[in-house]
Amino acid sequence: MRQSSKSVHEVTVNGRRRESVVPPNMLLIDYLREELRLTGTKTGCDGGECGACTVLVDGKPMLSCITLVSKVNGKEVETVESLSENGRLSSLQRMFHEKLGTQCGFCTPGVIMASEALLRKNANPSDEEIRKALEGNLCRCTGYVKILESVKAVAEAGAAR
Amino acid sequence: MELLPEFEIRQPKTAEEAVALGAEADARYIGGGTDFVPNLRRGLETPSTVVDLSEVSEMQQIEETENGLKIGASVSLQQLISNELVIKQYALLAQAAETIAGTTHRQSATVGGNLCLDTRCQFYNQSEWWRKSNNYCLKYRGDICHVAPQGDICRAAYSGDLAPAMMVYGAKVELVSAAGKRVIDLKDMYQEDGANYLLLNPGELLVAVIIERLDGYNTEYRKVRVRGGVDFPLVGVAVAAKSNAGKLEDIRIALTGTNSRPVFVEGAEESFGKPVDEETIKALVKLVRVQSKPMRSTFTPGSYRSKVVVNVARRLINQLL
Amino acid sequence: MNKVLQDLMQVKPNKAAGARIPLIDGVEKVSGQAKYTADLDADDALVGAILRSPYAHAEIVNIDISEAKALAGVKAVITGEDCGAPFGILPISENEYPLARGKLRYRGDAVAAVAAIDERTAQQALDLIKIEVKELPAYFTMEDAMASDALLIHEKRKGNLERAVDEEFGNAEQGFAEADLVLEQTYHCGEVTHAHMEPHASLAEYDAERDLLTLKSVTQVPYYVHLMVTQCTGMDSSRIRVIKPFVGGGFGARTETLNFEIVACLLAKAAGGKVRMKLTREETFLTHKGRPETDVCIKIGIKKNGKITACEAKVLQRGGAYAGYGVITILYSGALLHAIYDIPNVKYTGRRVYTNNPGCGAMRGHGTTNIRFAFEALLDSLAEEIGLDPIEVRRANLLAPNFETINGLRAKSYGLPECIDWVEEASNWKEKRRQLPRGKGVGVACSHFVSGAGRPVHWTGEPHATIILKLDFDGGITILTGASDIGQGSSTIIMQSVAEILGVDYGRLRVIANDSAITPKDNGSYSSRVTVMVGNAAVDAGKNLKKILVDAAASKFECAAEDVECMGEVYRVKGSPETAVPFQDIVDQAMIGSGTITAKGTYFVPREFQGMGKQRGAAVGSSPGYSYGATVAEVTVDEDTGLVTVDKIWCAHDCGFAINPLSVEGQVQGGVWMGLGQAISEETGFQNGMHMNANFLDYRFPTIMESPDIEVKIIEPIDANGPFGAKEASEGMLSSVLAAVSSAVRDAIGIEMTETPITPDRVIDALVKQERANKRNQSGKGAV
Repeated sequence: MRQSSKSVHEVTVNGRRRESVVPPNMLLIDYLREELRLTGTKTGCDGGECGACTVLVDGKPMLSCITLVSKVNGKEVETVESLSENGRLSSLQRMFHEKLGTQCGFCTPGVIMASEALLRKNANPSDEEIRKALEGNLCRCTGYVKILESVKAVAEAGAAR
Repeated sequence: MELLPEFEIRQPKTAEEAVALGAEADARYIGGGTDFVPNLRRGLETPSTVVDLSEVSEMQQIEETENGLKIGASVSLQQLISNELVIKQYALLAQAAETIAGTTHRQSATVGGNLCLDTRCQFYNQSEWWRKSNNYCLKYRGDICHVAPQGDICRAAYSGDLAPAMMVYGAKVELVSAAGKRVIDLKDMYQEDGANYLLLNPGELLVAVIIERLDGYNTEYRKVRVRGGVDFPLVGVAVAAKSNAGKLEDIRIALTGTNSRPVFVEGAEESFGKPVDEETIKALVKLVRVQSKPMRSTFTPGSYRSKVVVNVARRLINQLL
Repeated sequence: MNKVLQDLMQVKPNKAAGARIPLIDGVEKVSGQAKYTADLDADDALVGAILRSPYAHAEIVNIDISEAKALAGVKAVITGEDCGAPFGILPISENEYPLARGKLRYRGDAVAAVAAIDERTAQQALDLIKIEVKELPAYFTMEDAMASDALLIHEKRKGNLERAVDEEFGNAEQGFAEADLVLEQTYHCGEVTHAHMEPHASLAEYDAERDLLTLKSVTQVPYYVHLMVTQCTGMDSSRIRVIKPFVGGGFGARTETLNFEIVACLLAKAAGGKVRMKLTREETFLTHKGRPETDVCIKIGIKKNGKITACEAKVLQRGGAYAGYGVITILYSGALLHAIYDIPNVKYTGRRVYTNNPGCGAMRGHGTTNIRFAFEALLDSLAEEIGLDPIEVRRANLLAPNFETINGLRAKSYGLPECIDWVEEASNWKEKRRQLPRGKGVGVACSHFVSGAGRPVHWTGEPHATIILKLDFDGGITILTGASDIGQGSSTIIMQSVAEILGVDYGRLRVIANDSAITPKDNGSYSSRVTVMVGNAAVDAGKNLKKILVDAAASKFECAAEDVECMGEVYRVKGSPETAVPFQDIVDQAMIGSGTITAKGTYFVPREFQGMGKQRGAAVGSSPGYSYGATVAEVTVDEDTGLVTVDKIWCAHDCGFAINPLSVEGQVQGGVWMGLGQAISEETGFQNGMHMNANFLDYRFPTIMESPDIEVKIIEPIDANGPFGAKEASEGMLSSVLAAVSSAVRDAIGIEMTETPITPDRVIDALVKQERANKRNQSGKGAV
């Protein structure tokens, strides 16, 4: 069997710069979950179908389950764990909590990160813009109604960063 | 369990370097990876070297040309959708790009990746266990096409949304290999064989796509799918049409999801100059009916796709003329 | 008077029941801190993996594991030989083995399993296992499986019938004779599956020195898992500990013990260590236990005023390869024909059939969804033909509170009339039905569900639920429960119930759930039982603890217990606010002589709600209360593509009393939406037994793009059997959605869709037929 060569990757994860030796075929999600033990990012499907693994790379949403670590070399990765500050929820997280935008919680980290990406670009999105931003994030519990309300509530409160 | 195969990864800075690496045996190019990596995860690709194009800056530009645009193959779909020129002058292209997968996919997915999108089939886009249990298929390690067992050709369906849109704008593609550069019509990059749908030479790289502006045309892309997001097209129809004083001047119709290649509907020119009436439209719709060949490559029946591609084409033609 | 006392005098009890508070575990979920099974620390764990059958139906001749065993890094390889004890949710039909023995019954059946040092080694080991079989004819349709010459998938099950149910209450024939209009129609519902977002996973750890086994798994019912692991490992149950971490949805899939959970334990035992098992999405689909493909032939007779005189239903369910919950599903289909409308004569024939497909089980709306679709859809046809509004037909058949049905089901509350009134009004029904332009339509339907089974699956004579409260020196109250919060919010409801009784602040309470070493046994989260059963036990436990505290206060105040006034965080003598002392003082007092305080609460379903009446089969479907839902859907049908877009849904749900209205809304929206998925796009498909859409691209549950706004109204008739009057809130509304959507489609294009899901291809087929029929009619007329 082929043995591929490992190489050093420099990735900033949640503000912390890391140098990691990883094989070329390592996926970002495995790097985050298995190497760094950042298990907030979830695997819900067999690749690119559900959005539960969404993280931000240089501020853009990306599916970590179909992204090779080499793709984020030298870049900044943000996961759901990065949003809270001093142990307090971000306004987006708080709205998902208070408006019941989360039920079982499994899709939530991905939904929140995709919403975060949207709100950074567009602090006051319309319903259609929210839907569009979340079109690839499947949820099986909420029927999406309260997800939409949660994101809207952040915008309405003018609390988006 | 889904293990990625072992491979080397290379990140060239120029197209020249890329094609040098791509010339190696079992080398594969990767754009955004939104289709390629799922295929890797399912064991459908076993490259020795993966040539990652994301550092090739010359492939990331959208340039205005004298009568159109030159779009680098590594331009992301999101970039394409957000480009002012594309929004203003190539509405159909933006419209088609916006229907591809989900917003998050489009951040990574590239123009070149979507144009070269692997054909899809319900007997192919499955796990290794699944395909092995089903004796594989003509597209992958097997000797039978489960879609059309009597035939000797793979019937996987081409499912990219950009190709029909680009074709309507008279797209040409710039291809580079160690042997040099060539420019061909986009429609000539494909053939009606699901297992070998791309007419590219070994190691040849799609660098850019060149499209022409359409002035005075009404355009529309319509994608049929069960869900409002994420899904690949069951069928996709792109139409650009122009008429003058009740007479048809030009109409361009291109399809996806129906055949193993994106179909630029041939023969429309016979209707040019004719009055825009029921008979002309009937003739155009007939071209679509005859040239589209949906089969049971999708979970949704092929017979449905046959009927609906015609319905949608008819509606668009009526609407745009 | 000092400030402290002034403050104490102002304290009022926490009014927790009915409070719109966020879920108590929401912070963990939104911050990424919630640990699901696959998130648990498993650095030193072996990788467990299952070899799955490529055959649909085959006799096992030999399984050669020698090469796999010899591979470096492989710690255990097991097959059906290693476990001879069958398992299953129902004691009467345990016919599944953790790993197949003797026969393989579907493509995906578990053949063997390995534990290895890493994923690659595990995969290589699976590849080295050689299966030698004798292939048998396989049956993927009910018709084929029931054919007289079909081989039996399970022994002694003649005709591959898992269960036949034949029952009649009243006299259907006579009822039809009295009717002014009788219609009969056959409906078909495609198979659907739960598709919970979290793929299946388990972490099993065996302590070989002490013979102790700890399993962490994705279950809805840790207690059942405990029973089945005991049975299949042969260990003493006291040596097994089952823990449920955060669970990413269940919807019924995880009410049964699933094979991989037991396999993880068997592997851990065989390897003498820790084994992590993470199933792929495809394997999660194959594990299934979803809602079966169902044919319903239904006949209903009505009088001119819409009153139903009789109903007869014949139901066929494709159960798949193993029994699972099948017997209950086919029984529930019959039982839940009752208790929603007043029907004097009901005849039911149910057949559950084994086939070579992944086994079906319980799914949200268990047993009732498909037959409810058929029933409600046929009501629509009856209304149309007799010239009544569909809503009026339903109104003509309402029950009244405190009903008892002909099959012995009873309930104290019945909020369906108010549900119907609200959806009619809110949707502007009267201005829309039959009045929207072609391509647009509205439809209505109703449904109901049990709030827990009157008799549990494992009837032991124990209470239906138990809660333990522990109050210690610190003044903190720990609520110990075995009820599984799987995202539906049960822990929050339990906490609110205890808080309401004691009146204390939420901060004083914490819930510890689902660790068999710590928490009391619970029958788990299924059949919508937790709010009513565990909620009642929580109320009881709260009352028992309160009594201890009140007694302690009485001795502190040197007054009679009746004279103590509990203000939650403060206790005082009635009528003397200045006697107020803080909660902690009462705790200190109560601990004198007793130490740590514990209080237990239990709940028994009252005997008359256990279906113990004279009617045969009345235990099935009995419940302390039924929830009701009415739904109106508004749709747009694109006649070029056949695509049905649901523009808006109004749903009124009678949950008795909403202990947490926010949570009820969320459950109702989720339930409506899951029904919507089955109505328009969800369906599993098989070709020669191969699962054709075991992924999230082709198993098309709706995305946010086409999911409509769902407006919810909570109807609260207060049910005396429920805690604070509450009934269930997560299943009752689901089944109405299928018929509401199909009714709306009919209103839009004049075609009754008799199959679900109403996918674009089915709509196009129906439109083509309609067009042909119209042409025939026109040419027919022309000839006259």
